Amino acid sequence: MNTQPIYTRYLSNSLYKGLLSGLERPLSRKIPRIGARKSAARKTAAVRAAGWIACGFLIVGAAPAWADHVEKHFKVDARPVITLHNPNGAVTVKAWTKSEVMVIATPATSDVEVDVEQTGNRVDIMTHPASDNVSGDELRADFEIRVPQDAELQIHDDSGAVSVNSVLGDMNVETVGAGVDLSDAAGYLSVKTIGGSFQCLRCAGQVEVSSISGNFRLLDMRSYHVRAQTSKGNILFNGEFIPNGFYELKNYSGVIEVRFSPGDSFDLSATSLKGKVNNEAKLIPPTHQQHFYSRFGNSLFGSFNSGRAKVELSSFDGTINILKRN
Amino acid sequence: MSAMGCNEFISQLEDWLDGNRHPDAQTHARECARCRSVAADLEDIRGVAPALMVSDPEPSPELWIRLRSQLEEEGIIRNVGSVPSGARMPAWLDRLLVAIPRPALAGAYLAFLFAVAFGFSATQGLRTSQSPNFALSAQLDSAEQTAYSSLKEEKSLASASLHENLAIVDNYIALCENSVREEPDNEEARDYLYQAYEQKAELISQMTERGEPSR
Repeated sequence: MNTQPIYTRYLSNSLYKGLLSGLERPLSRKIPRIGARKSAARKTAAVRAAGWIACGFLIVGAAPAWADHVEKHFKVDARPVITLHNPNGAVTVKAWTKSEVMVIATPATSDVEVDVEQTGNRVDIMTHPASDNVSGDELRADFEIRVPQDAELQIHDDSGAVSVNSVLGDMNVETVGAGVDLSDAAGYLSVKTIGGSFQCLRCAGQVEVSSISGNFRLLDMRSYHVRAQTSKGNILFNGEFIPNGFYELKNYSGVIEVRFSPGDSFDLSATSLKGKVNNEAKLIPPTHQQHFYSRFGNSLFGSFNSGRAKVELSSFDGTINILKRN
Repeated sequence: MSAMGCNEFISQLEDWLDGNRHPDAQTHARECARCRSVAADLEDIRGVAPALMVSDPEPSPELWIRLRSQLEEEGIIRNVGSVPSGARMPAWLDRLLVAIPRPALAGAYLAFLFAVAFGFSATQGLRTSQSPNFALSAQLDSAEQTAYSSLKEEKSLASASLHENLAIVDNYIALCENSVREEPDNEEARDYLYQAYEQKAELISQMTERGEPSR
């Protein structure tokens, strides 16, 4: 992988090396005799100044190569579909009231291109290399996207970050290491990361999220269906348990924390095979269903109030905390 | 009487297909109709794999139907009503099938896929009637090595994350295997183990996809 700074790729190798040698040699060279020191110092200063000036010109010349951005607007009908495939970069999507999709893309270098195409009520955005020199993390572009509220989103962003605000349509987000941050979302929300964290603030609708090492924070939720599974991550759920709602939180290790209010009503099942279950809810024997009482691990079953929602918490060797909301 | 059991025979199928047939394996194949049949099927598949590699980007569904029917007939896996007779593999397994390089399909991956079909169809409503087959773990390791060898030399953040998370999943597999060994009746521990296997298969699939030259 090319680890040079971006601007150095715009210099020819020899010029680059010459420039560096001009800058670096005086620093590494042995200190000359005292009589020669002044003239040597003047020469060094001249070379260094020339080097910086040349470097400055070249950097200024190269700057537009990674500062260019593309802005495109597309008229769309109700419930448009927007897809984005971006290997690396920050993606910010916000809803607005216009029947229009706006895409502002900022590729990291001129070796990276972004294609944006509209087909009917669908807008497809894709980042791809413009030359063979680009690989790995260099294939990066950042996006600012505005969509109608009812837009459906399909986002693939391996690394970087994904942020979606106030979009009420269905959403599918897949990342490797990128964190995903949703707020005021609704619809069917499907999020899959490998190592990226996930935060959902004031989300409604149906939420399905899975990860291997990402932490989840589900805050002020108004969702009727939540299924969250991470292997090595913590899960925090702080929100409403909607009557007839279903809430399943699962991990291998880490902490699962659920906050409840005195007025909540849910059937609870909590099992940690090798870890602990800490509970502050006053449970009564389950009212709605038979639970399978495992012979293994630490389990807790019961209803809180009339048990109208269903809450299932399970961990392999993590800790489960069912705590009063502050 | 054969000194080799079915599990051991299955675990060395790759050698068998390569022509390295241990006398104990040969004895077992003579005595065990089920394993003999399985080995014959895999030989058939291997025989037609080169043609698939050239002309068809997808493995022929007939092959899988035949293989699955055979497995069902032998009682190695059982079908649940909701699964159509068309012998669907689990979705993630389908994905893996599409992702793996065709040449690999003809070799080591077949053993891996077969072991997967054997070992943990539980997540899709299919469950083995046997005790957990930890040979699956070794097969996954083998697939992992193959995936590594097909990867481009890439040191991106995403690649680093995949490797890091594969190590995490490996750790959980080891923990769950220990747990299942200690408490063979613990269905929940077994479910955690199967899920960890599934996660590993998905990660290997993603890594393999990234290694393809077209990306």
